[in-house]
Amino acid sequence: MKEQECDVRCRILAEAIREAGAAGRLVGKGTLSARLEERGFGVPGGRDGPDLEALLAMTLAANEDLAAFPSHTGETLYHCPAVLSRTYASILDRKSSPILLIAEEVRRNSAESLRPVPLDLFGEAPFDLSPQEIQAALQSMAGSSEFEDVASVLTDAGAVYLFSTRYLEPGYAAFLAEEAETGPFMNP
Amino acid sequence: MPTTTGGFAGKILRVDLSTGKIGLDDTVERYRDVLGGTGIGYRVMWEEVPAGTAPFDAANKLVFATGVLAGTSVPCSGRTAITTLFPSCWPKALTASGHMGGRFASKLKYAGYDGIIIEGKADKPVWLFIRDGRVEIRDAGHLWGTGIRRTTLEISREMGADCVVAAIGQAGENRVPLSLIVNSVSHSAGGVGAVMGAKNLKAIGIQGSGSVRIAGDKVEWERLIKFHLSILGGNNQHVVPAFPHPHSEYYHPNSRWVGAPGKRWGGSDSPVEINGGLLDPNRIAFRTNSAAFFLGDQAWKHTVRGNGCSGCPIRCHTILKVPAVAAKYGIRDTAQNTCVGLLFGWAFFKSLQGNRRTPAALEACMVGMNLADDLGIWSNYHQLQRDLIKLYSDGTLKSKIGSQEYASYSWDKYESADPQFLFEIIPRIAMAQGELGRALGLGTGHLLEQWSIPEEEWTRDLSSGYWKMGHARHHANDVDGQCGVIINTQYNRDAQCHSHTNFVQNGLPLEVQKKLAAEIWGSPDAVDGVGNYTPMNIHKARRARWSLIRKELHDTLGLCNWMGPWVASPIKERGYSGDDSLESRLCSTATGQQIGREELDLVGERIFTLHRALTVRDMGEVDMRTRHDLIPPYVFQDPKGAEPFTRGTIRMDPRDMAKAMDLFYEILGWDQATGAPTAETYARLGLQSVARGLAKKKLLPGVRG
Repeated sequence: MKEQECDVRCRILAEAIREAGAAGRLVGKGTLSARLEERGFGVPGGRDGPDLEALLAMTLAANEDLAAFPSHTGETLYHCPAVLSRTYASILDRKSSPILLIAEEVRRNSAESLRPVPLDLFGEAPFDLSPQEIQAALQSMAGSSEFEDVASVLTDAGAVYLFSTRYLEPGYAAFLAEEAETGPFMNP
Repeated sequence: MPTTTGGFAGKILRVDLSTGKIGLDDTVERYRDVLGGTGIGYRVMWEEVPAGTAPFDAANKLVFATGVLAGTSVPCSGRTAITTLFPSCWPKALTASGHMGGRFASKLKYAGYDGIIIEGKADKPVWLFIRDGRVEIRDAGHLWGTGIRRTTLEISREMGADCVVAAIGQAGENRVPLSLIVNSVSHSAGGVGAVMGAKNLKAIGIQGSGSVRIAGDKVEWERLIKFHLSILGGNNQHVVPAFPHPHSEYYHPNSRWVGAPGKRWGGSDSPVEINGGLLDPNRIAFRTNSAAFFLGDQAWKHTVRGNGCSGCPIRCHTILKVPAVAAKYGIRDTAQNTCVGLLFGWAFFKSLQGNRRTPAALEACMVGMNLADDLGIWSNYHQLQRDLIKLYSDGTLKSKIGSQEYASYSWDKYESADPQFLFEIIPRIAMAQGELGRALGLGTGHLLEQWSIPEEEWTRDLSSGYWKMGHARHHANDVDGQCGVIINTQYNRDAQCHSHTNFVQNGLPLEVQKKLAAEIWGSPDAVDGVGNYTPMNIHKARRARWSLIRKELHDTLGLCNWMGPWVASPIKERGYSGDDSLESRLCSTATGQQIGREELDLVGERIFTLHRALTVRDMGEVDMRTRHDLIPPYVFQDPKGAEPFTRGTIRMDPRDMAKAMDLFYEILGWDQATGAPTAETYARLGLQSVARGLAKKKLLPGVRG
């Protein structure tokens, strides 16, 4: 494959990732391969030139605004952080699994921002879980060693907050939950 | 600086209500070194109101002043400072300021004035008519005894729809210390209404047909405004949204940036759905909905729109329309306010405090706003409501008022959080009726004294929310460790400073905040996570100093310290930094006189130090450290006995706080032993005459008699 053809393929791939991001979608290799084919480019490999993986690596190297991350399924997903942030992309990635969606968001908040999160958060966009889905997920987590670090705390006002014991001690999480629930409102 | 400098309107209106004389000061000639706002207010109080003056004396003055950025296109530039002797300050009235937004500041500038100094006392109720250069003291006999809404309406009919009216309600007329001055329906300045009432001044109506001249480069001005808009967040400069969004790396569920795409202003005649880009400068007004922040999702369907100050895209005064309350309570179905004003009615009821998102909370808010913003009652940052709750809960109230009066209140409604109770309590506070109504309106310090309750019963009780001198804790160690405590020691009312809290609560992860702190205050250690405090260091003292100086600068320039400073931003490409020199760049371009960040901060320090000098003089006491800069004992306690500097407590350590005060005094050039500015510091700030005045009274550190 000539260098010029390679560049064209990379441009098509970059364009596809940006378009998906602007539409709030993540893209994997299947979608990107299909895009190349739509534009009349097969995906050569071996002696014909770089394969899709290599093309995508070249695309990311040439376009600093694009990024990739491993999906919870193991697949590599691509996005444009300027229009689809890493945090939001991770949420979209896990939307098919309420358990992972809740657990990983709780862990990320505990680790990065040192805060428990209100359970109500998961009923709002972009999580959009129903009360039944939330309860089912919590019950499943409670019986699984994989999620034994995901704990809850009840505030004086009766609000449930979730946190990860990997990053927050229960006492500190309880303090932070109480503060989050009352602080900004009692001392506005 | 020539008098043709930009930014300034150029004149200060001086109105003597005793003689009817109306005069003018040249703003730049007389006040150039203190710029405007509280700077002018403190200067007038220092030069013209002698120590020993009481708040309701004719000799007390009421100084309305704004700044060079008011009336321009600068975002968040709608503020007016009102400086006077505060009647709620206990045990002695001292100088403080109330602050209001709305349209008063811009109209005042367009009429040709940077401020109004109200002197003397009228012998009958009057209101002040200002139409550009035409100023008249008019009879207010027909307005006296009416609420703020009626007064505003009557004056608007007389002047024309394009006027702005700042008025007092019955609370101010009755010299209730906890009273407001309100303009533009809901924009209020607390604690100053009774002084206006004591002067028999019901209202000020202003029409202005002028403009504010921008003296600097117009292209640069336009660029600066666009830049400022680009680094704005939601209310309180929360720079991340409350919800995950594709265009934001971070979110924080407690952010006041609650306007998520798809939310709807359902109370509008033509409901509006929030759309467009998260960071689009033309969508900033969608970000804030104070009612939804405080009352939850139920507020969206009642939201008409956001209202706010001239020049401000934040629109933090959410207009709510709740038709049901009109029939149920006989009040208007529409009300608007933000923060403590919005929550005025809700805060009375202990049982609603864990139930903000309920219809009962919404109704209490609607009733509270309708009553308080018409009668003109100040909540003293909700200390009024907390005092009632505490006095009722521990049985004190019942023992202090007569049984007949006690029986005249429906305490069952109070306990069940029935908003009807508000119709019993709020008007009586405004009218100073009955023992309870009179006492609550005095403010905490005077109330405790009148009822022979030791102040310690409040200062030892964290839940009292009380700090000192009659006023409330306002963003202290509950959000910002030693920095918050230092700030809460400094004023003669609640601190009202948001420079520190707007930073630590901006929603960015602590790691990012620490990176910004290193850039601004020299070390990441200038900031701690809430409830994870570390021992005091010099960087925290620098941040406390910076916070106070920026607060005074904002109050001086006409900027909103509830929104600024703007040292953090939502912009990932900037590493989430804002601009620490924004105020000086705006000021320079508006006036056409170059002033750098450090030079402008020096002006802020001068103003802050002048406030300190006033406190020293009026207390007749040089030992500020032990007599004024008080810290309530509950700061050094933890309900569960946790030790200071352990995770999960806001408990401070007494020795560490002593060190904190040492460092704070030291970086300001104040005497560590007394916390009073030294002669050298006054001289460094161009306040030599102030130092001489204090020296004569033996009120400089080291020269006590």
